Amino acid sequence: MSIVKLENIRKAYDTKVAVEGLSLAIEPGTMFGLLGPKGSGKTSSIRMMIGITVPDSGSVELFGQPFSRAALKRVGYLPEERGLYKKMKVIEQLIFFGQLHGLDAATASKRAHRWCERMQILDAIEKKTEELSKGMQQKIQFIAALLHEPDLVIMDEPFSGLDPVNASLLMDTLLDLRKQGKAILFSTHRMDQVEKLCDAIAIIYKGKLVLEGTMREVKSRYPANRLLIHYTGDESFLQHRAIASAKTYTGTAELILSEPSQAQNILAEAIAHGTQITRFEVMEPTLEEIFIETVGENVDA
Amino acid sequence: MHNVFLIAKREYLERIRTKAFLLSTILIPLLMGGGLVISTLSAAKTKSASHVAIVSSNQTLAEDLKTELEDPKRSDMKVDVTAPTAETRAALDHNLAEKTLDGYLWIAPAANPADRPVFTYYGRSKADIATQGTIESALRTVLLREGLVHHGITSAEVEKLLQPVDIQSAGGSALTSFLSAYIMFFLMYFVVMLYGMNVARSIIEEKTSRVFEVLLSTITPDEILAGKIIGVGSVGLSQIILWLATAVILTSTSVLASFAGNGAHISLSMAQIVFFLIYFVLGFLLYSSIAAALGAMVNSEQELQQLNMFLVMPLAVCMFSLGVVITNPSGLISTVISLIPFCTPLIMYFRISLQMPPAWQIALSLVLMIATNYGILWVASRIYRVGILMYGKKPNLPEILRWLKYS
Repeated sequence: MSIVKLENIRKAYDTKVAVEGLSLAIEPGTMFGLLGPKGSGKTSSIRMMIGITVPDSGSVELFGQPFSRAALKRVGYLPEERGLYKKMKVIEQLIFFGQLHGLDAATASKRAHRWCERMQILDAIEKKTEELSKGMQQKIQFIAALLHEPDLVIMDEPFSGLDPVNASLLMDTLLDLRKQGKAILFSTHRMDQVEKLCDAIAIIYKGKLVLEGTMREVKSRYPANRLLIHYTGDESFLQHRAIASAKTYTGTAELILSEPSQAQNILAEAIAHGTQITRFEVMEPTLEEIFIETVGENVDA
Repeated sequence: MHNVFLIAKREYLERIRTKAFLLSTILIPLLMGGGLVISTLSAAKTKSASHVAIVSSNQTLAEDLKTELEDPKRSDMKVDVTAPTAETRAALDHNLAEKTLDGYLWIAPAANPADRPVFTYYGRSKADIATQGTIESALRTVLLREGLVHHGITSAEVEKLLQPVDIQSAGGSALTSFLSAYIMFFLMYFVVMLYGMNVARSIIEEKTSRVFEVLLSTITPDEILAGKIIGVGSVGLSQIILWLATAVILTSTSVLASFAGNGAHISLSMAQIVFFLIYFVLGFLLYSSIAAALGAMVNSEQELQQLNMFLVMPLAVCMFSLGVVITNPSGLISTVISLIPFCTPLIMYFRISLQMPPAWQIALSLVLMIATNYGILWVASRIYRVGILMYGKKPNLPEILRWLKYS
């Protein structure tokens, strides 16, 4: 049973088509990355998953059932733009959101305290939201989305605007949730950030799905044809016939091979010409490279 | 229903805890009550308490005038009478400068004995109109009495003729009941406007802070809107009940009377209180629904200002028609205006305060208001549902009409 299943959904706002023919499925216990440049339809897709908007056509299933509002109590949502009441105290705010998700006030308060401790913002709990820094507000928003222990966590650009320390705190928490068997979907336009985090990804571009699958599947479709060499001395190995394209800087060459199997030969040739090699690495293409390869070069990712 | 309650509770608590609520709850009745007390106090104190001198060679006239002026019903003046001598004027002017005297009246005999003497008042302050006015009217009375006696009418008869006339108004004083109707009218105008705008502002706040996204991921737009209107409306209702309770306490006990004397009695009938609550609820519902739609359409308070006229115009029309309603509360025009739902809360209520309209008119106004509320809420909730997720440019009319078709 898929936690989320989108079937051929379409959404148009007046004349602009935001999402077109999108289908995807998210399995339990997976970390799912919804990737794509800004304005490609990520937020529109997410909004349809949680009933904020209704698709013009196609179907949405949550927890194996056709979409119903009752299922939303099992979903935690972190919107892209942080939405908190500025004048409310942190703890009141968290209890309020907890209650909206069906918790009673006492449970919500207890869990809020526990989460604030974990997120290292316990001393801010009696403060008004507007007095807090942006990073802290984001943590509160994050807690608000998780307080009711949802089975599906949906986070729209969760890492944007977070400093590295807090971003990694958030990533650790997400990994923890996955370990508990929850399904997590997050969207991001920073593909480099999430490569190691996702089990499965979908890349959308201009409202259409361009790539979908588990990380392993996607990567296996693209051979490890990247070669990184740090060297000094003779450069004649760069003329090897298996090199499709090369970017060279002083002492560094980033190569893309037409025949991945030739990597060892290139190394052998360089050594034969007396080139000093300090680093030699065969690499898989990054998600960003895969993305650019799929949709073309001129993408402002 | 639970969600509506949660939203309403949040709105209510957030507002009721603010200093603004506390201040407006205390200050508005204080200002209104204070204004009332001051006006009645000052009405009581316009009796002149000056110390004046009358300079006249005609001692009878001067003494008569003194008696008239020192009559406690007329003033609290202290009057000296002197005959004119060579030094009188200098002495009086000296007293004026020393501030031991507030003014003096110089009565110079006329050249022709048949004419009136010439009266000249020299006051220390030119602005002391009250004293001068009191002297004038006292003088007129005295001269009239003198003239009447001169024509052979007995002084007892003269006194009878000069008694002040008192018009009795059935069912309490017309002035005070009009005053209370007037105050209630403005109070209604004020709360409907204030809390209607409050709804719009709270929507804009959630829109700019994007709290909506979080709310909408669990509850429906209709639940949010209902909760918001109920929450904000309850704040208004709490405030009104506090005010009415204060007003009832003030008018039913002698607190106000002890401040301002018996003239300050403001009558507030039970019907006035009950209908105030009913019409507030209906009026607030109507105007807050419009405000909610406006709030959902715009992105900032500044943009809301431009659309404010949709709220202010109907209320302004009520304001303008007030004159007609006052002169003839049961006339055709008043009846028609009071049945227009946008004006009903103000005008029908005003009519109720002035002169109870026929029951069928009140019933009809309630039915019309409820029906209009239903329609406006239907439209507003649709605009709201779409509008809250629209950011960026303000929608034009065709776009808004298209929103209505979205379900």
